[in-house]
Amino acid sequence: MVNRKIAKISTHRYKILAAVFILLAGGLVLLPRYEKHEGIDPQELLSNIISPERYISTDFLADKLINQDPSYLLIDVRDEDSFNKNTLPNAINIPMSKLLDEDSNMYLDQDAYNIVLFSNDNFYADQAWALCTRLDYKNLHVLKGGVNEWFNTIINPKKPTENMPAEAFELYSFRKAASMYYGVAYPEQFKTKVVVKKAPPKKRVITVKKKKKAPAEGGC
Amino acid sequence: MGPLLPNGVIPHEWDSLIAILIGLAFGFILESSGFSSSRKLAGVFYGYDFAVLKVFFTASLVALIGLYYMDFLGYIDITQLYIHPTYLWGAIIGGVIMGVGFVSGGFCPGTSLCAVAIGKIDAIAYVAGAMIGVFIFSEFFTLFQPLYEGSFLGNITLVDSFDLNPYWFIFIFTIIAIIIFVISDFIRKRTKKQVYN
Repeated sequence: MVNRKIAKISTHRYKILAAVFILLAGGLVLLPRYEKHEGIDPQELLSNIISPERYISTDFLADKLINQDPSYLLIDVRDEDSFNKNTLPNAINIPMSKLLDEDSNMYLDQDAYNIVLFSNDNFYADQAWALCTRLDYKNLHVLKGGVNEWFNTIINPKKPTENMPAEAFELYSFRKAASMYYGVAYPEQFKTKVVVKKAPPKKRVITVKKKKKAPAEGGC
Repeated sequence: MGPLLPNGVIPHEWDSLIAILIGLAFGFILESSGFSSSRKLAGVFYGYDFAVLKVFFTASLVALIGLYYMDFLGYIDITQLYIHPTYLWGAIIGGVIMGVGFVSGGFCPGTSLCAVAIGKIDAIAYVAGAMIGVFIFSEFFTLFQPLYEGSFLGNITLVDSFDLNPYWFIFIFTIIAIIIFVISDFIRKRTKKQVYN
């Protein structure tokens, strides 16, 4: 009985298969369209954005640069005019509008360097960072405070007041040294030490009486 | 997630091994569905056996529909799949040569190797002929080069070149395939039955 039923169905097997095909293909047409999500998960992106891990301080960066750490690549995300006016040493300019171009991809989507994004403040650099992080690019950092902070701390450090802790003075001396490295001149550098020339003391002539050689005496 | 190899889910070192496994499976299925018989293969052109047409059409349909469902479910990224580049005139002329060889020899390159594996003498002759063809092509490559590398259209698909909606295209393609199956069955019933192994 069962066999007969199967046999009855199997005479229609091609029709059934054709119907399955049409149903599946039709199902594709009816599937809802949605914008494909590119890059990492939204949850992961959000937790990355909240985390302040991406920030590096100007002091840290200055230390790395002065010690000529070759693994740091600076990327200026401001427009070209600002880049030409002033930027950090050895920075590459990738304006925000060109951030996702193929040419920029070469710099941003890689594993070899630590990339430091910066703008005037960290505002645009943060945006650039978010875009690139979403595409799962690695080793991205943001310079906290950007070029302005760099100027305020490294190029033009504030002298600590006397009631500040010792660390502040240490930091100041580091920053001052860094700024000198970048060619900032300090007045005290040019203070020539006023050397009071003392008249050399008169030499007293001490007469040393030459010992007269004793005349050879005796002999053998 | 997928495709597995380009996304590094399976390391690249496995490329060759996976190719060999897929090749073995392909050869096994060809042989077990009787495609190492040149009479069965040539049957498409004489109208007494449409197994080749049905099998390959069905396979492409299953793959197509399956891939698009997997793309929808996020298991595979359809934009990352390899698309064979199109050299229009090279493909047309090559296709004609291949078709003539198919009718006259009774094998396509893959099935000929299958038939060699089970020891068919005509297949051995066919493969030897193919090797001679390869040799001639390589020796006169400079002559064929303009055709071989000309009329390059890039890695395009029908969906790209005619700007179709892929989902509607698949649906229409499925219906066309089923119509072709029905017609081919109709032709097969009209032609004289051939007995072969």
